[in-house]
Amino acid sequence: MKEGVWQKIQSYMYHGARIILGLVFIYASYDKILHPAAFAKVIYNYQILPDELVNLTAIFLPLLELTIGFLLIIGIWLPGSVFIGNLLLIIFFSAIIYNKARGLDISCGCFSTSEGEATDSTFYLLRDFSFVVIAVYLFIKVFISSLAVNNRSSRISP
Amino acid sequence: MTFINRQLWVKTIKQVFFIALIVLVAGFSSNKLRSDKIPLVEDWSAKSNFVTPSGENLEISLSEAENLFNKGLATFVDARSVTEYNEGYIKGAKSLPYKEVDWRFIEVMEGVSEESAVITYCDGETCELSMELAVFLRNTGYKNVRVLSNGWTVWRQKGLPVEAGPQ
Repeated sequence: MKEGVWQKIQSYMYHGARIILGLVFIYASYDKILHPAAFAKVIYNYQILPDELVNLTAIFLPLLELTIGFLLIIGIWLPGSVFIGNLLLIIFFSAIIYNKARGLDISCGCFSTSEGEATDSTFYLLRDFSFVVIAVYLFIKVFISSLAVNNRSSRISP
Repeated sequence: MTFINRQLWVKTIKQVFFIALIVLVAGFSSNKLRSDKIPLVEDWSAKSNFVTPSGENLEISLSEAENLFNKGLATFVDARSVTEYNEGYIKGAKSLPYKEVDWRFIEVMEGVSEESAVITYCDGETCELSMELAVFLRNTGYKNVRVLSNGWTVWRQKGLPVEAGPQ
């Protein structure tokens, strides 16, 4: 009985995490898809990528966010989308830390391409960190828990 | 217990490949079709942040700005947010956050002659608020508006006079 409740909670957590992360990615892509030139400027301002890659990133990154956002919500191709989601969030997180460390004051361009939004990067860091936590949780669920399940089933059926 | 489930990883790599393919096709085609498309590769270094569409360079050097400051010939206008301004600003500078320029500019620029020198600044080499503010002020009739690039930082680094607190 107790185990049943626990499994239910775990299932809610898993699907909740999947859908929240999916919505975050779709929301994050929306404004960038509408304003590619403004987003290119945000990327340029981060001063991390070489100039040649700035526009390519501005074109493809929002579409990548949109695609994996949809996949996460629908729940198909999860290994692929969870893998890319983790990769992206870790890159974004490092980019914010990197620029905070070198004292570059930039608007993060995380959800909107307009400049002059509050530039308190500590807030961005905390917010991004919570997304990273959700993503890593999904990663564990998809890649490591399924391993446990596979091992168990292989033990049962030799 | 094997740590790497080979099957799962093969599946993952395949999916990543397909997602990348979808994104590539969607990206190229949408950027080709849309009216506000951007070039795939752009020379960002050539894009000077301080050149107006008509080709005028508004950037002012620190020494020039310092000279005007010492002679009291220029009005400094801070384009950053009020919070940042209150934490410290170039001595005597007016606070006109670019975000609030539409409804605050008359009140802030009152008494500043359109013929006099105006120097806008913000903070950070890539901050564009000062340039946007300068363009706005020029459009409203100020003839002699210049931008001090990375203003707040270079001003402080040289140990020039600053103030803090609400205006």
